[in-house]
Amino acid sequence: MASVRMQGLKKRFGAIEVIPCLDLEILDHEFVVFVGPSGCGKSTLLRIIAGLEPITEGDLYIGNQRVNDLTPAERDIAMVFQDYALYPHMTVYQNMAFGLQMRHTPAAEIDARVQNAARLLDIGPLLKRRPRALSGGQRQRVAMGRAIVRDPKVFLFDEPLSNLDAQLRGQVRSEIKALSQRLKTTMVFVTHDQVEAMTMADRIVVLRGGVIQQVGAPEEIYGRPANRFVAGFIGSPSMNFLPVTLLKGAAHLLDGRKLNIGATLEGQAVLGIRPEHFVPAPDGSGMPVEVTLVEPLGSDTLVHFLVGDIKCIARVAPDTKPLVGERLPLAVASGKAYLFDPDSGAALPAGILP
Amino acid sequence: MHISASSRQRGALAVLAMPAVLFTAMMVVFPILYTIWLSFRTAPLGHATQFVGFANYAQLADSPQFWNSIKVSLTLYVISLAMQLTGGTYLALLLFQAKRMPAILRSILISPFMVPPVVVGMMFLIILDPSLGAANWVLSLFGIAPSAWLASPEWVIPTVALIDTWQWMPFVALIVLGGLQSLPPSVYEAAKIDGAPPRLVFWRITLPLLLPTLATAAILRTVDLLRFFDIIYVTTQGGPLNASDTLNIYGFHIGFELFQFGYASALAMTLTAMVFGVVLALNRLRRAIDW
Repeated sequence: MASVRMQGLKKRFGAIEVIPCLDLEILDHEFVVFVGPSGCGKSTLLRIIAGLEPITEGDLYIGNQRVNDLTPAERDIAMVFQDYALYPHMTVYQNMAFGLQMRHTPAAEIDARVQNAARLLDIGPLLKRRPRALSGGQRQRVAMGRAIVRDPKVFLFDEPLSNLDAQLRGQVRSEIKALSQRLKTTMVFVTHDQVEAMTMADRIVVLRGGVIQQVGAPEEIYGRPANRFVAGFIGSPSMNFLPVTLLKGAAHLLDGRKLNIGATLEGQAVLGIRPEHFVPAPDGSGMPVEVTLVEPLGSDTLVHFLVGDIKCIARVAPDTKPLVGERLPLAVASGKAYLFDPDSGAALPAGILP
Repeated sequence: MHISASSRQRGALAVLAMPAVLFTAMMVVFPILYTIWLSFRTAPLGHATQFVGFANYAQLADSPQFWNSIKVSLTLYVISLAMQLTGGTYLALLLFQAKRMPAILRSILISPFMVPPVVVGMMFLIILDPSLGAANWVLSLFGIAPSAWLASPEWVIPTVALIDTWQWMPFVALIVLGGLQSLPPSVYEAAKIDGAPPRLVFWRITLPLLLPTLATAAILRTVDLLRFFDIIYVTTQGGPLNASDTLNIYGFHIGFELFQFGYASALAMTLTAMVFGVVLALNRLRRAIDW
């Protein structure tokens, strides 16, 4: 149980700068998720914390100890790998016991801890099996068991759900979350899946090109994205972005139509609207759009349309059953329009002119 | 190619495949069956063969020289295999750690087993020559008294094993290197996080994971080693005092110097059965230790 602190952290692979300069503090007992697209440096960052990658510059602290020069074993962390990395020639029991044996834990205590973890993860009957005789989900549990028995200061997860099928992924996701609430250990979880990030994290760290875009609670990341990248990355389907000119509280689209969003700014901006924040407009108001595609999902319906040549999606109630080619009047739910600087992409808070 | 299941087409395929099947049968199956047949007969040169039942096998069981050959063959097998597996594994680990292997090194490495064994035998006859050879001179630098290594009943088997190891250890090393390269790298990262020191990583992880590969290498070498012939034929001819008289050398002596073809066939069948038995056992072992 400890905090993790990165100060001026830099990482280069040869000439390639993966992490330019990063500062971050992960609190004790916190569940932090690193999320971002492929190549954003999230796995590298996790491997740096684990000690599997050397730090080019800067400092890394676990608790109050600077761990730059400590081996992975000395850092007292445990890691769950994407491919689980179980020892294929050892039984489940031996896999979980190995790390404790290396730390010269007495056999009786090893046994107690392994049995305890097996009970916690419901893998008791599998203890004598080898990894090849396990399903993907069972291997995943063993990998977690191997981490749990160690009772480490920090748990590190490197996309541990990406090799599971969709149904199992949802189940394991909630199990990991329940586990984190029970174990009260600092957890760092890397994923490219924004649903995993939203559902599990106490705080989300959105990364792009090795640079932190935003750090915050899931609802904060979703509700108040710091920039256009975060706004587009979190939320599914993605936020719609439309270049607009703001004038007298209305957003004028490039094709001359306008949307009333009650903006206090004036000038050029990018308007961001989440699909779920489009609402059917009462007759005569709103912006009529021509439906190009309808995707009923059961719980709600996705309506595709074009604004100029920009593809947009609205998520509407399932009882709205528009037909392709139909003109559907849409408005934006009040207070749900986001504005971004057209050049920097930064979110524009109300009252500041771009 | 799409093969339809129609019986006419299958018939045509059978006809087309027949020459190849017959040819293979003649080349492979006939000599084996003929040897089995011969092993139950006497076949004196220039006379008709005569059925003798198990007499040839009984004669083998009573022959001290046959039992000596079994002992020589097995001793040579165990010593050579042990040297080649341990040496080959060690060499493979060195090569694996030297991440980027220069192409020339790979060529040097595979050259010994491309040299014909007869040439290897000649080469080592010269190197090991008691008065002119380089071996004794090098050993004398370390204070080891010169010896006629191939003429010494105690040393001849280890010496021959060493010659064979020189030729085949690189082959084993290449197989093991392939095995090492196919091991999952994340397992080693897990071991780092678990805190296993390098020595234990080798004994507890690398070696157990390599066992199936080593078993494969052992099977490949077993077939050659139990039939050991060429290097001994060139260097010692089974001597001194039959100390390197392997089953194959002894069989050659009976068959092609004494012309007792029936008796030699019985010995050849015994050797074949031995090779089969050991290979089957090793194959079963390989499956048992496979992860």
